[in-house]
Amino acid sequence: MDLSIEELERHIDELRADMRRAAQAGDRVLVEELREELREAQASWEEALTQVAARTPAADGRPAATSVAPRARGEAIGRGVRGSLLPLREQVHHALTLLTVPAAPRLIVAVHQAFFGTVIPNSRLTSLRRDEERSFRAAPFARPYYLCPALTADRLGPSRGLLSISTWPIAERIIGPLSPRVHFLTAAIKVAEAIARTPEPRPEALRLLARFAANIPGGADGSGPGTVIEAARAELAIHEEADRITREEAGKRAGRLTDVQRLFGVRFEVVSVVEDAG
Amino acid sequence: MTNDVQERLRRIRGGGEPKRHNARTIAALTTNPGCSRRAVLDAAGVDKAKLARHIGFPSQFGQSQFALIRGYQFEAQVKADGCAELITLLRAHLGLTLPEVSYEDLNDVAGNDDNRLRHRETKNKLGRRDDPGTLFDHPMLTLNVAGQDVFLEPDLIAFQIKGKFHIVEIKSFAVIDGQADGAKVAAAAIQSAVYVLALRNLLVEKGFSPDDVSHNVILVTPKDFSNQPMVTFVDVRRQLTVLQRQLSRLTRIEDLLELVPERVSLSLDADPGEVAFDLGSIEPRYMPECLNTCELARFCRHEAQGSTYAMGRTVMEDLGGVDTVAAVLDLARGTREPAPDQVEVAALLRLAWSLREESLGTAA
Repeated sequence: MDLSIEELERHIDELRADMRRAAQAGDRVLVEELREELREAQASWEEALTQVAARTPAADGRPAATSVAPRARGEAIGRGVRGSLLPLREQVHHALTLLTVPAAPRLIVAVHQAFFGTVIPNSRLTSLRRDEERSFRAAPFARPYYLCPALTADRLGPSRGLLSISTWPIAERIIGPLSPRVHFLTAAIKVAEAIARTPEPRPEALRLLARFAANIPGGADGSGPGTVIEAARAELAIHEEADRITREEAGKRAGRLTDVQRLFGVRFEVVSVVEDAG
Repeated sequence: MTNDVQERLRRIRGGGEPKRHNARTIAALTTNPGCSRRAVLDAAGVDKAKLARHIGFPSQFGQSQFALIRGYQFEAQVKADGCAELITLLRAHLGLTLPEVSYEDLNDVAGNDDNRLRHRETKNKLGRRDDPGTLFDHPMLTLNVAGQDVFLEPDLIAFQIKGKFHIVEIKSFAVIDGQADGAKVAAAAIQSAVYVLALRNLLVEKGFSPDDVSHNVILVTPKDFSNQPMVTFVDVRRQLTVLQRQLSRLTRIEDLLELVPERVSLSLDADPGEVAFDLGSIEPRYMPECLNTCELARFCRHEAQGSTYAMGRTVMEDLGGVDTVAAVLDLARGTREPAPDQVEVAALLRLAWSLREESLGTAA
């Protein structure tokens, strides 16, 4: 975890607030997920505190304490099995880079588990998008990349639930009416390719592939990633061209947007609905 | 609806904003079309759950948390990845061609989920003729109930093939070996009928014909004991007729109000006893089925104690013309002289009574 101790403290506070909200909403599953995360964050904080203490000479001149709370350390090591040591945003970045297309949290979680073996708590992805936007508004382009919503082709608004990476060309971040299918097929190809590259794919990866295969015509005819790739390419050829035209056209329009709008979408803030005549 | 009527309904409601309807409550209107009490209360937009609690008969329903989560998860699964599973089903069962995969998300408009805005967007997207589209997720529909436009947000998809729109309703109850719980299918059918009607209204405004929305609803449910979705077609023509009749009854509420005393007001600030008394002056028609669909059912059941209709339609029809349980028993024992129209029933009752006496003897 490469968060500073101050960032960890903020993160812990946020987690507590999220937990309270989840408890108020009666969502026990989410509370448990968050509790697990809070435990991890606290373990990381203990670790960071130890490092800070080791670097700083004690006020009374005695040598710095070297003892680490054993339980905290034990948890920090055990953590690698279930959660990842990488910050959440980097894990999402990995999954999206593998897929190459905007994806819903569900798919991001599944891909990460299939190829990196770690569990991303689905619930945290919701607040992630908000945090990214806040961070960008506070210090534009301070980070090498941002995780931001895909944009709808018609209004360039934030699409509901689909995440993309800010460094992708704008047309790649746009969702037209055909894009959900195109992205599904592209994701299937990328997942199949990744499995073909892996000598011993995890069972989760094979399950993910089977899920894709079942919903592509001819995808489940043979076995293995090759069949899926072939079947997905065949259907992709039908939609690709029309979808590309829509996205590129919208991409051109997006050139007129401000940086924040281009990254996080144009929002309808004021509502004044006039009934249309048509 | 005239201002007079609006004013009366407001008084019945006891002031304040009317409670909003949704597909569930609109569907419930059709379960007992003969009940004036429900018709008046729904037209006035009375919060029946609060009213029932106020007069000491709290209703015990609402959906279970587990059912809600299960329903939500199954819907999310079917709709995941651009409706991948749904597209597979529609291709297999409705002959959807490969290029027809267009999907429009109507859950919000550029990050704004205002109902009116979404309704307008729905109208524009579904009503366009040059590029008709295929799947529309969470369209925002409206239906006029008792003079008010009610927003309906179906957890469903409107689906267009060969110029005809269909309602796709995703439900999480299982269809096991081709059989599902009849009550659940019936409930899904009537809810879908509400949406079919609303979608027809919307498209008619855009110059389409009502027949452009199919009366065959596509029901997507889990198959057997798995999570694998399957498709069933449900013909909702009968439900549509019932629904339309009940809705027109609500708009002709004047006729029903004539039977309600002027003074009636069901304000939650008033004394519970008085409110219950006032409520009693609006003609109910209690049936055991009401317990599943109406918040006031417990009150009506209590009120109906001793009457034959509280025992359900079958018993009531068998005892045609005899209203109370006491009268039934008197006729059976022969202690009461039957009215001319009760002669036949009385003979049957006496026979039943003598059979009972014979088999149980004095123990009865």
